[in-house]
Amino acid sequence: MFDAERFVEEQVQKARDTIRDNAIIACSGGVDSTVAAVIVNEAIGGRLLAVFVDTGLMRKGEKEEVQAMLERLGLNYKIVDASDEFFDALKGIVDPEMKRKVIGERFIRVFEREAREFGARFLVQGTIAPDWIESGDELRDTIKSHHNVGGIPKDMELELFEPLRDLYKDEVRVIARYLGVEVSERQPFPGPALAIRVLGEVNRENIEIVRNACFIVEDEIETAAKKGIMEFPWQYFAVLLPVQSVGVHGDARVYGKTVAVRSVRSIDGMSASYSRIPHEILERISLRITNEMKEQVNRVVYDITNKPPATIEWE
Amino acid sequence: MKVYVIDNGGQWTHREWRVLRYLGVDTRIVPNRAPFESIADADALILSGGSPSVAADGERMGNNGEYLDKAEVPVLGICAGMQFMSTHFGGETAPAKVPEYGKVTIAVSEDARLFERLPREFTVWASHNDEVRRVPSDFRVVARSEVCEVQAIEHKERPLFGLQFHPEVEDTEHGMEIFRNFLDIVEEWR
Repeated sequence: MFDAERFVEEQVQKARDTIRDNAIIACSGGVDSTVAAVIVNEAIGGRLLAVFVDTGLMRKGEKEEVQAMLERLGLNYKIVDASDEFFDALKGIVDPEMKRKVIGERFIRVFEREAREFGARFLVQGTIAPDWIESGDELRDTIKSHHNVGGIPKDMELELFEPLRDLYKDEVRVIARYLGVEVSERQPFPGPALAIRVLGEVNRENIEIVRNACFIVEDEIETAAKKGIMEFPWQYFAVLLPVQSVGVHGDARVYGKTVAVRSVRSIDGMSASYSRIPHEILERISLRITNEMKEQVNRVVYDITNKPPATIEWE
Repeated sequence: MKVYVIDNGGQWTHREWRVLRYLGVDTRIVPNRAPFESIADADALILSGGSPSVAADGERMGNNGEYLDKAEVPVLGICAGMQFMSTHFGGETAPAKVPEYGKVTIAVSEDARLFERLPREFTVWASHNDEVRRVPSDFRVVARSEVCEVQAIEHKERPLFGLQFHPEVEDTEHGMEIFRNFLDIVEEWR
């Protein structure tokens, strides 16, 4: 079906032929960009610099985990703290497409600066098929502008090299296993990160809320899946809704925020069905979020929509 | 065997290409504006789905009509591809009374060529705003769902087939087998 060995050989050769000078790779530490990094590193070695951008929108402990992984992979890497820049750019923006474009542009500006410093002409990205399909083109409607395709500003000065463009994530995972990349089974995480899990305006406070809620959802689902109580979903997370509702805490009225739990089963991200999470797990998630985050959240709901008609992320 | 995927802008056009590649077919994706000459060597065509409403927005279906008139090879229309095929041969497409997005159960006719060796009822994934309201007289209906009367059609004599649902999508049961059945027909036709 899918021949990882042959694919890697072809792409290493193509990278060697195409990238004559230096290149940087946009590396989030997810399976797509890490596989692309390993392939291009095989081709051009020290002429490649992996750039991880700390947008301030990442999950709990993510920067540290990615750094440790890049270290173990033996890649030439750099971590760039750009969180102020991202939060400034996102101020006042509520439209999901605007958010994605603003984030896409910020990423490129950071990469352009890093490329100039490293003397690179090429930007390598781990773009896969759903990214450009959903971003739209002459024939296709835009479902959402993926930051690495539809979010790229027109005046970008870098040339793109995208070895995984025709693959879906299940195929990238096959390559990752073949290459021994440790994040082969990591759940997908969108480039705009937690910014698109905060419906409405993004600020440090809202990001912190959704970060903590995502952590609880991940923790409970991973624990349950490891025990064999449920299967590992394709993707599982929390979304902070722009909705407040009435609750009662110790006989006192509260008026707090609402978190939606989203978890889906999928093979390639292009269609999905909602996860059949056992009720006792859903209840634990609800209890933990409303107790541990009592200052902010007093209601938890479960999203039972498939893709289509919904998409996996809410924005 | 060369089977080209005519791209009508579907979210799953590229998945059709992937399934064909997995089945060992020589395939490529061709935009629907491409001249017929550029696909004249195909052994079969897939007309993909896409967001155009065939009834209201037929222009965006590009040269699909020309392909259907000139190609003498088997053609499989999927979603908007089927709606276009049906309209092209004299049928009627209109907004669905009840649209279907995602999971749908279909019941298939016993003698339908695309559904050979498959169960009579199974789950598929669909995503359509419009539906075929009237099937052209040379075609017959070979699958239905609870809310959609025309889930699959086949021409009574020529190797022309249409599916309202998406066999290329992972969530569709027996999708790969439906493609295999189509490729068997292509093989026979060559």
